[in-house]
Amino acid sequence: MKKTIFSLSLLSAALIAATPAWADPAKVIRIGVASVGTGGRPVVGGSSAGTAALRGLLEEEFKKDGVKVEWHYFKGAGPAVNEALANKLLDFAWQGDLPAIVGKAGGLKTKILLANGTLGTTYLAVPADSPVKKLEDLKGKKVALFKGTNGQLVVNKVLDQYGLTEKDFKLINMDTATTDAAMATKDVDGAWYSANVFTLVDRGVARIVWSNKEGPLSLTRQTHFLVTEDFEKANPEFTQRVVNVLVKTSADISKPENADKVLQEWAKSGTPYASYKRDYGGGADIKRRSSPLLDEFFYNHYRDAVQASLKFKFIRKDFDVNQWFEPKYVNQALKEQKLENFWTAYDAKGNPKGGK
Amino acid sequence: MKSKLTMIAASLLLAAQAGAAEQALNNKQLQEQIEALQNSVKALQQQLDRQVAATPAAEKIDIEQLATKEELQGLTTDLENYKYQVQRDRDTKTALATRNLVIGGTVQARVSYNDLAVNNAVTDNRKSSFDVPTAVLTFTGNLYKDYEEGRNLSYALRFGYSPQSNATQLLDTSNFNLLDANLTYQLLPTLAADEGRLALTFGQQLVPFGLEAAATEDLKPVINNAQFVGRYGFAQRQIGIGLTGDLLPEVDYGYNYRAPLIKYVVGLVNGNGPNKSDNNNKKDFIGRIALTAPAEYNSWWRELTLGASLYKGTNTLFVAGSKVGDGVKDRFGLDLSYNHHPFGVTYEYIRGTDTVASGTVLNPVKTKVDSRAQTATLFYNFGEQFVKGYRSQARFDDWWPVSYQPFYRYDEFDANTAKSNDKTIINTVGLNVFFAETTKFQLNYNRREDQATNTKSNEYLAQFQYGF
Repeated sequence: MKKTIFSLSLLSAALIAATPAWADPAKVIRIGVASVGTGGRPVVGGSSAGTAALRGLLEEEFKKDGVKVEWHYFKGAGPAVNEALANKLLDFAWQGDLPAIVGKAGGLKTKILLANGTLGTTYLAVPADSPVKKLEDLKGKKVALFKGTNGQLVVNKVLDQYGLTEKDFKLINMDTATTDAAMATKDVDGAWYSANVFTLVDRGVARIVWSNKEGPLSLTRQTHFLVTEDFEKANPEFTQRVVNVLVKTSADISKPENADKVLQEWAKSGTPYASYKRDYGGGADIKRRSSPLLDEFFYNHYRDAVQASLKFKFIRKDFDVNQWFEPKYVNQALKEQKLENFWTAYDAKGNPKGGK
Repeated sequence: MKSKLTMIAASLLLAAQAGAAEQALNNKQLQEQIEALQNSVKALQQQLDRQVAATPAAEKIDIEQLATKEELQGLTTDLENYKYQVQRDRDTKTALATRNLVIGGTVQARVSYNDLAVNNAVTDNRKSSFDVPTAVLTFTGNLYKDYEEGRNLSYALRFGYSPQSNATQLLDTSNFNLLDANLTYQLLPTLAADEGRLALTFGQQLVPFGLEAAATEDLKPVINNAQFVGRYGFAQRQIGIGLTGDLLPEVDYGYNYRAPLIKYVVGLVNGNGPNKSDNNNKKDFIGRIALTAPAEYNSWWRELTLGASLYKGTNTLFVAGSKVGDGVKDRFGLDLSYNHHPFGVTYEYIRGTDTVASGTVLNPVKTKVDSRAQTATLFYNFGEQFVKGYRSQARFDDWWPVSYQPFYRYDEFDANTAKSNDKTIINTVGLNVFFAETTKFQLNYNRREDQATNTKSNEYLAQFQYGF
């Protein structure tokens, strides 16, 4: 019996010793990013969050407090971020509209703080030597799509406009890296892409047959920066400071004279400078797409996205977008940095609302 | 003579005058040609100037951006070097296979102490030992890849080493036995996650009875199998055919999560173990059904599963080494699992009925013996080892979420329910430390109570397990 007690005591001691010292939430800020760079590198472009990470701006901001900033780049994109949020492994996240909507409808307690990459592009590409000329030619064929990401919502809206649904294609769920490989080996007849499509186009691997570049704004994809309700309640000051840094970064990358430098920084993600340049209209679109404003367009887009998600059965439960957005932090940051009129606010239809 | 000379001089003068006139004519023509050429050059220059002026700024060539001949030659040399290196490595340093092949394996290295000594008159007299309890080498891959619908034909070939019996140890030999050798064909398309699956497996394979026998690491934290796995023969491979499928999958793309409402297995096997022909004409039947709560990922009902398993077999009976007939070898099990990170619970209840023979060859006595087993496991995860999406992060280093998993298991086996006080009960507490992608360190303490012999013992195990 003595031996048993001794053994159990030893094991208990081992358990206690082995238990990791959990980071005090106030001492660590954990940020999830729903994207990775080419080849699985922890670098992304296309947003002020990406630039802030590249330049170590949040680390610098919290250095004096002894607060560590951890960036987590998820190969599984938005769905993997949701999984981490559900398991309480993140405080903030950079994510697209659809996965965040699915998470919110499923009970994730999050608050959207600011827009962080708007009017995202979507491209439908086919192998370069494919006879396919237009979207409809791919009916019944194998098309790759990273399901659960904000691309899926755009694709469903686009198909809806053509009177088509996902079931009209053999849609295969593939992540970005797998899609690139499948396109090169022609395992798929087509694939839906974002700006990274140009890396394949430039190599002569793929050809674009459809894009939302000239289409209505309702067919663009939006990304945002969110916080968990738990973290926000416990650390409102830290939340404000995170938003401050992101707004300041957005302003910096929005200046035309910085465009070239910004695109070159983003190219560290592995998506070439030339691809970003083409996707961002030579750099001219950076300011519009980097606006952090939670304007009427952004609100309306998310309301529409929730309704579209219900229609396409991505979610089962409606919820109020007004309650989900928390604009006070971004408004405060804009006021403090005197940037209230720096970006143009857009109305629900995407038209400039006075100002610039 | 003089007049002749005058005539010659006059002739020469005339000729010279004629040549000069011709020369003047040629010069004039040449001058005209030069002027015409100059005009053409001017026209061409003007045309070129107009074209250059019309060229968009973006397309103008910046001389500094042009590659020099030396640079192109450098690039060409790099490409040639790369091609040579790839070809050379393929010829001399690359393992090749006829078809798609993945090589993997698992190895365990263990140290143990048991206060109840192992004391065999022939070989052993010990309380402690260093062991390699298992070393498995696995070859898997595709034999046919269906690009259209994912109805793939795949194979598995697995060899395993296990500690030898005392007698074999005396001979100082070791065997690497064939464990799995089977083909699997996907009868239904597999490209869409939200459709049911059905696969046919033919050959030598593990029997999917209950949770413990075929459990993966996320449901089995303990080093040793529960007693029923070995006692009922589920640790052994069987040769046969099995259909494995699922129906009505719940797919939550928002979390990349798939959980079929119904999973099922039906199969026929020889029933007398691996690497052997059947010893009778009756085949053993295996069936399993598991129902998983149709829940989204972020639901408390996620991964709550209720299962039932049936194994109905025939046992060839022997008395004194002679066959005396057939008997039953039946098992029925119920299981419940709730694997909801960070904690998990499993429970299994199994009943078995075996015919045993006694008496003599001429007058065998066949008796049915009922047995019963139950086992329950509780575990808790500190760390993200089992959060699939979190593990798969982009990092520059060889990062892995170090995780700790303490657990407790209760394991009971009653070899004959007709007899009282013959149960064997093992209580286990332990800790798993996952410190690298495929490697873990395990500590187990087993408190064993053997009611039949009225003995109690304490066993301590420490083990590294790594995969590759």
